[in-house]
Amino acid sequence: MKHHILRSFSLVFVSVLFSSADNCSAENWPGWRGPNRNGVTTDTGVPTTWSASENVLWKMPLPGIGTSNPVVWGDKVLVTASEGRDQGELHVIAFDRDTGRERWHQRLWGTAPTLFYGRSGMASPSPVTDGKRLFAFFGTGDVFCFDLDGGLLWQRAIAEEYGPFENRFAAASSPLLFEDKLIVQCDHYGASYVIALDQQTGANRWKSDRPEVWLSWSSPQLVPSGDRVELVLSGSEKLDGYDPRTGSRLWTVRGLARECVPTPVIGHGMLFVVSGPNGTHFAIKPGGSGDITDSHVVWKNDKGTSFVPSAILAGERYYLADDKGIGSCMDARTGKLIWKKRFGDKFTASPVSADGKLFFTNESGSTLVLDATQASYEEVARNDIGEEVYASPAISQGKFFLRTATNLVCIGKKERNAVQSAE
Amino acid sequence: MKCFVACLMLVGFAWLDAPYDPAPHLTAIAKSGPQGEGSATAKLARDELAKQGVDILPPLLVAMDTSNAVAANWYRTVYEEIVARELKRAETKWPIEFFKEYASDAKRVGKPRRLVLTLLDKLDPAFRDQWLPTRLEDAEFRYEAVGLALAAGDRALTSKDDAAAKAEFRKAFEAARDSNQVSQAAAKLRTLGESADAVRHLGLVVDWWVVGPFDAPQKTGFAKVFEPETRVDLQAKYRGQGGAEIAWKRHHETDALGQLDLNKQLGATREAVGYAYSEIDVPREQAAQVRCGADDNCSVWLNGQKVFGRDQWLNGTRFDRFITPIQLKAGRNTLLVKICQGPQHKDPEVPNNWSLQLRLCDADGRGIVFQSRLTEKTGSEK
Repeated sequence: MKHHILRSFSLVFVSVLFSSADNCSAENWPGWRGPNRNGVTTDTGVPTTWSASENVLWKMPLPGIGTSNPVVWGDKVLVTASEGRDQGELHVIAFDRDTGRERWHQRLWGTAPTLFYGRSGMASPSPVTDGKRLFAFFGTGDVFCFDLDGGLLWQRAIAEEYGPFENRFAAASSPLLFEDKLIVQCDHYGASYVIALDQQTGANRWKSDRPEVWLSWSSPQLVPSGDRVELVLSGSEKLDGYDPRTGSRLWTVRGLARECVPTPVIGHGMLFVVSGPNGTHFAIKPGGSGDITDSHVVWKNDKGTSFVPSAILAGERYYLADDKGIGSCMDARTGKLIWKKRFGDKFTASPVSADGKLFFTNESGSTLVLDATQASYEEVARNDIGEEVYASPAISQGKFFLRTATNLVCIGKKERNAVQSAE
Repeated sequence: MKCFVACLMLVGFAWLDAPYDPAPHLTAIAKSGPQGEGSATAKLARDELAKQGVDILPPLLVAMDTSNAVAANWYRTVYEEIVARELKRAETKWPIEFFKEYASDAKRVGKPRRLVLTLLDKLDPAFRDQWLPTRLEDAEFRYEAVGLALAAGDRALTSKDDAAAKAEFRKAFEAARDSNQVSQAAAKLRTLGESADAVRHLGLVVDWWVVGPFDAPQKTGFAKVFEPETRVDLQAKYRGQGGAEIAWKRHHETDALGQLDLNKQLGATREAVGYAYSEIDVPREQAAQVRCGADDNCSVWLNGQKVFGRDQWLNGTRFDRFITPIQLKAGRNTLLVKICQGPQHKDPEVPNNWSLQLRLCDADGRGIVFQSRLTEKTGSEK
């Protein structure tokens, strides 16, 4: 299966398949932006209409603040949060997927207080799971590993070991799993680095210093390139490719924004990278060595780049909603603009896609649903949950999970749920 | 053989009767640390500890009073599990007096004390309200205590009891270390006709000689040594950016929190270096801290010795951003600060700030008492 996916490298690229987990299913949402770290799932039966009352299966209050996306594995929905004057009180909570009942709740201390953003606190990075363990990284620079019953297995206070995170909004990068390693991008004004931790013990497998890098909030991505896999990090006016097995740097593309937030997405044999505002979209062929700016950039344009939201690739088209609410659709292979539209309100959350639909949720809590099978702009619905939303949604097993500013909301088709319950 | 079995049974019964000793498990957790070290042992130990009742909470809390952040979290998982379980049992005999003593012991680490206070909210709901206002000198709870004093002052003002209001605001001002609370209390006192010097309270240095801009293209300024670093001569003239002659000028900063704007004092520019120099008198030799922030970055020399420098760019001047321990000598001390200015952000709308904020305080954040030796009234102070 692993080799098949590598060979058939196209739109769908399941980063979790590179991990040692033996039971990965695309219908789970195991980490930042889902099974492929690109917001896209093969899940079906997802509702396209809802409101604060319609199609809401359950709603549970969350402690504190956070913008990490919910993680769904099997019958659990896992969420992180932080609270307190310095946001040093950390929470990891597991909810029952079907009922919303709290299954377990771990409360821990963050070890290295730093500045934070008022909406996200220390819970910007999304946790990630391989179905056996949950790995949670917080803006305080702490990494915790739990079994899926909530038992703490190991922890690392990496900000205490390598220096506190010096940036304005705390660390926000969501870690990823590769083989038996957990990889965490730690870019900040202090000593930046990317580190791979042993999933079993938490010990360093490798650490690669990034002395020329300053703060960014982007998350790493994995991309297959020929017979190798490359780890891609966006930040500090460039994109770097690394060997995820050793941490050695392979290549660099120059020209990104000074501070990067969006996570690169992959497809059509290319990496799609955006950073802004007033930045540039890049489509890049991975591979090569050294400075590949002049040799591997397939196309670029500077129309409608975003500061926070990541882009999404659906079939032949590349979509983005920028922070100010301007949506755009481009031809993924050429970068040519297909349409541009004012979506309304501001965006922090990144879009997700399932079942031929695109879901863009703005800060007011309104989710714009578009038909991704059409090249033209085809609006399916606008669904208002009635609460502010800054976190990216999750889709799993026919349900749409929205983390609002105060609640975790499970949206689903009630009749389908009734059938499932009866079974 | 019978004797041997009997001995075994005795040992066994004795073991069964012996009270649980948490010390070995607490010690095992204490050995956990960096690199995930000791995690497997810590997990086994925590699982055993979590089976126990509230009797182990006092030794557990004593163990939680540690600088080992990893061990503290292992202990916390035990604490949370026991507390959640025991709160469901009506007959649990909580060690409430121990909890109160523990919460009140300002020498202990703050986080577990705060945890205990949250539990006391459930066990003795009246405790917090009568206890918290007394914590003005307690670093962990000072912020809340000062907030309560400010609120009490506001209530007194509403009741037109100016004397009570002054007393509450004065109490808040003297105790406060947070710059916003200091400013707030000072403003309240001033509206009541009272004096309150926030700059002095926080130990902000506001009397400077400044010189610049020196030319420092492409972020070379941090490493490049200009004349003021080798010798401070306030009468000297230097060749500055663009070949212009530059000289020291006296400046007294009037910003409420002592933020020195070099764009105003030396002229808006980019890719440059400026220096600020001050001299202070302190009554005795003492350990202190220099707390500073700068845009883009700063380096600090105390009495000719470099005590701080961080090569960072475009990161803003923030209160207490960097904290460095220093030793002040009795009498005259000199301070030289180098402040670098980087290139303009490629977005022309991003302001190209060039500023410094620096204060001298004790480890608790209270400004140290000093007198500026810069008595000359020249330059911007004229």
